[in-house]
Amino acid sequence: MTALDRLAERQLVVVTGKGGVGKTTLTAVLGRLMARRGRRVLLLEVDPRESLHQALGTEPSGGEVVPAGAGLSIQNLQPSAVIEGMVREKVPIAYLAHKITQSPAFHQFVEGAPGLKETALLGHAYRVLQGSHRPRTDLVIVDAPATGHSATMLAAPGLLAQASEGGHLGDMASDLAAFLADASRCGVVLATLAEEMPIQETLELIELLGTNLEIRPDFVVANGLYPVLASAPGRGSAKDLLRARRRMNESELDRLALAWDGPLLELPLLPLDRGPALVDALARLFEAADA
Amino acid sequence: MSGGLLDGRLVVVVGAGGVGKTTLAAALALGSARAGQRTLAMTFDPSLRLKDALGVGEAAKDEPVRVRLSGGGQLDVALLDAKRTFDRLIRTYAPDAAAAERIFSNRFYQDMAGNLAGILEYMAMERLFEMRALDRYDRIILDTPPTRQALDFLQAPERMMNLVDSKAIRFAMDPWWDGKGEKNLAFRLAAKGALELSDRLIGRRFLLDVVEFIRAFAPLFDGFRRRAEEVRDLLKVNTTRFLLVTGPGPERVPDAMFFLRKLKESGHHLGPILVNQVHPDPGAEAGQDRGLDLLRFLAGRDQRGLALLRSLFPAPQRIIPVGLEALPPSDLGSLERLFNRLVTKSLE
Repeated sequence: MTALDRLAERQLVVVTGKGGVGKTTLTAVLGRLMARRGRRVLLLEVDPRESLHQALGTEPSGGEVVPAGAGLSIQNLQPSAVIEGMVREKVPIAYLAHKITQSPAFHQFVEGAPGLKETALLGHAYRVLQGSHRPRTDLVIVDAPATGHSATMLAAPGLLAQASEGGHLGDMASDLAAFLADASRCGVVLATLAEEMPIQETLELIELLGTNLEIRPDFVVANGLYPVLASAPGRGSAKDLLRARRRMNESELDRLALAWDGPLLELPLLPLDRGPALVDALARLFEAADA
Repeated sequence: MSGGLLDGRLVVVVGAGGVGKTTLAAALALGSARAGQRTLAMTFDPSLRLKDALGVGEAAKDEPVRVRLSGGGQLDVALLDAKRTFDRLIRTYAPDAAAAERIFSNRFYQDMAGNLAGILEYMAMERLFEMRALDRYDRIILDTPPTRQALDFLQAPERMMNLVDSKAIRFAMDPWWDGKGEKNLAFRLAAKGALELSDRLIGRRFLLDVVEFIRAFAPLFDGFRRRAEEVRDLLKVNTTRFLLVTGPGPERVPDAMFFLRKLKESGHHLGPILVNQVHPDPGAEAGQDRGLDLLRFLAGRDQRGLALLRSLFPAPQRIIPVGLEALPPSDLGSLERLFNRLVTKSLE
């Protein structure tokens, strides 16, 4: 089974990795590929300054679901809005709900309560996947926030379920934790660069996901690899720089391979700016590498 | 002569993750030490390579470790660790050992305190304050945790102060709580119209855990508040300079703009902007090759980014491009060469 076959069986996929490793572009690439396979895909982003729309060449989401080509939509989620929506739903008296969501104590709670925002984000994804939700969605791909460890994010519902046992929030969190633990429906994809720190963090994350959450990533994607110099046996600082960067990429990939025996997909650095052309080019290369 | 790179007694290096911030901070610290200043570099999560280059290990998490410099100068390195700083803080401020123990054994603290929003940033500030109080250094270079939002970092002291002053905390601290238990809590919450929120949504146990945590924490609040105020003021004095490190290319410019706008708005003093990992143009004579063509594209892209940044932040704002290196520095010699390149570039 190829990495993409496996991905096509999932309902929820979290794309994770530190900032600047090409996570958002990869999310767009995977979304495009899954949509082409006939899946109805929603890409979720959590960032006040959205960037998924640039990768796909659509309007910014501003919190709404925005179509991005056949079978594909994007949404930039604001966790606090999701939490307020939940309060309005669970507290049927409008006056009371209003009073709660307007109170400073509520905002301090939302800002400060550990794991709440993460749970709200994943909870939103979970709800979108329910049969009753319109429009129907088969697969949600989450572009995980760049800050904090994604292991923390994935562990959040479980912790919150424990902490808030007995309340609606606790019930919701514990449903969600069970869903996330179901390896047949949920998957994690790691994005990285073949450089020292990103590889180090990837290795730590693989370890952490395994020991704390018993999650094994579906695959790892190494982005932005420098090319092998084809011709040009000569010297010169530009050529030396390219060769050195490529050597570094290769030795970091070797280091990764020592600790990760699962699927690894390598994507090159391309002479294209962020945008639909880059996403399409990477999608083609991804399929070729995965075949 | 450091081209404005080392103007502050405290140099705070900020920027998004993955742009080589830590390495540049280390190079600046080394340069500062070479210039005869007793310097401390405080950093979060250096790569193994950088730790090796500086010759520091885990021990630097507890106490600053002296770097062995053969050519003269005094450079210490301290590694920041949020949980350890938090623990140490509690030991310092708790009125007695029993109070500290109460916090350490609280489930909320164990599970979650380390993940509290902004806690990493706040603990960096806290450790900084500790180090400055020692008065052992002429200059401190602080490498900040990688936050996409500068706000988290700048607002950390403010946030801590707000938390301490917040209604929720005052509420939890009310004496009604003592000895009367849950029924009374429910009553009070109902009186405030918050019963629905607390009970149906959050679950009472969670609230009780948090209340217990806050109460265990209470004796520390005054100390916390004072420190947070002092840290906030320290960040705004004229001898504290913020140095932004950003990646190259137009795609990174919005991030940089966001940081710079926030820093200016909040009255912090800005030093030079370092644009790191700028690709060099191989030139026409290098020949044709897929790799060289890519490099030409990247060099052009990075120049577009620089031009955009310069148009948005014209002189006297200094913008210093730092070329991409074949390999990141792996010893003191290469760190020092990096510093010298920075100085040369900044004087251009």
